[in-house]
Amino acid sequence: MLNTNTLPIEEQTKKPYLPGDLAMWFFILAELTVFAIFFIAFAITRQLYPEMFQLGQSYLHPIAGAINTVALITSSFFVALSLNAIKQQKNRPSVMFMIAALIMAMLYIVVKFWEYSQLFELGFGISSNTYFTLYFFITAFHFMHVLLGMVILSFIALKAFKGEYQNKAISGFEAGACYWHMVDLVWVILFPLLYVIH
Amino acid sequence: MNFRIALKAYLYLIGLTVISAFLGGMELSVTDNIKNVFLAGILMISTFKGLQIIDVFMELKHAPKFWRNLLLSYVILIPTIIALIYLIF
Repeated sequence: MLNTNTLPIEEQTKKPYLPGDLAMWFFILAELTVFAIFFIAFAITRQLYPEMFQLGQSYLHPIAGAINTVALITSSFFVALSLNAIKQQKNRPSVMFMIAALIMAMLYIVVKFWEYSQLFELGFGISSNTYFTLYFFITAFHFMHVLLGMVILSFIALKAFKGEYQNKAISGFEAGACYWHMVDLVWVILFPLLYVIH
Repeated sequence: MNFRIALKAYLYLIGLTVISAFLGGMELSVTDNIKNVFLAGILMISTFKGLQIIDVFMELKHAPKFWRNLLLSYVILIPTIIALIYLIF
């Protein structure tokens, strides 16, 4: 059976094509569902305790949230470029874009650590109140997804560096890239929910 | 997807993030009724950003309709549910 992943892009776009592995898409759906439950739980609880949530939000750093948004979007952009390069059999640019994506992901990690340390210094923790329980639970859960995504991207970059995607199926690459975009997609909803809406 | 399309989507996403942050800042100094409009606007921006990520970065624009619609419905439904919770309750 002909593997469509090795076909030129023009050939692939003629018929519907799902990038990556089907199993990864089921995993992505499961992850998105869990995050959806968290988002809805946060919104409902916020309506139940508006004063507690407003006070809790006042201790957050919207600039840090905005920096992390830019970092994740930029990282996603580089991953998309990396995938595009590998489709054109350009190994070196693909690896370089992937490294750039990982650097942006690292920026997210540093900012998030700084944000957590600021809150810990003020004496806030996961058990401080309902707001901080939800805040730490949701952001730490997302943080773990970023770490897992970084491991996946590093693995992909290493394989690309070794030339293991040359003239071969790239569904693994696509699956990893889509996972990373899912992490970005979740943050796109998480950012206004936690930092922007008052 | 080529570089130009990806760059366009990237700039669009960054632009929407700036607008969203700006609306968030303005939301603090408006009355409750106008605040609701800002809230709806901020969540709508999340939806637009999600649509770009799904269609351009995830490259689902040419994916089977079932999968694309599934992902699109997520970025439309979740912000809508959040908006309804904030506006109704």
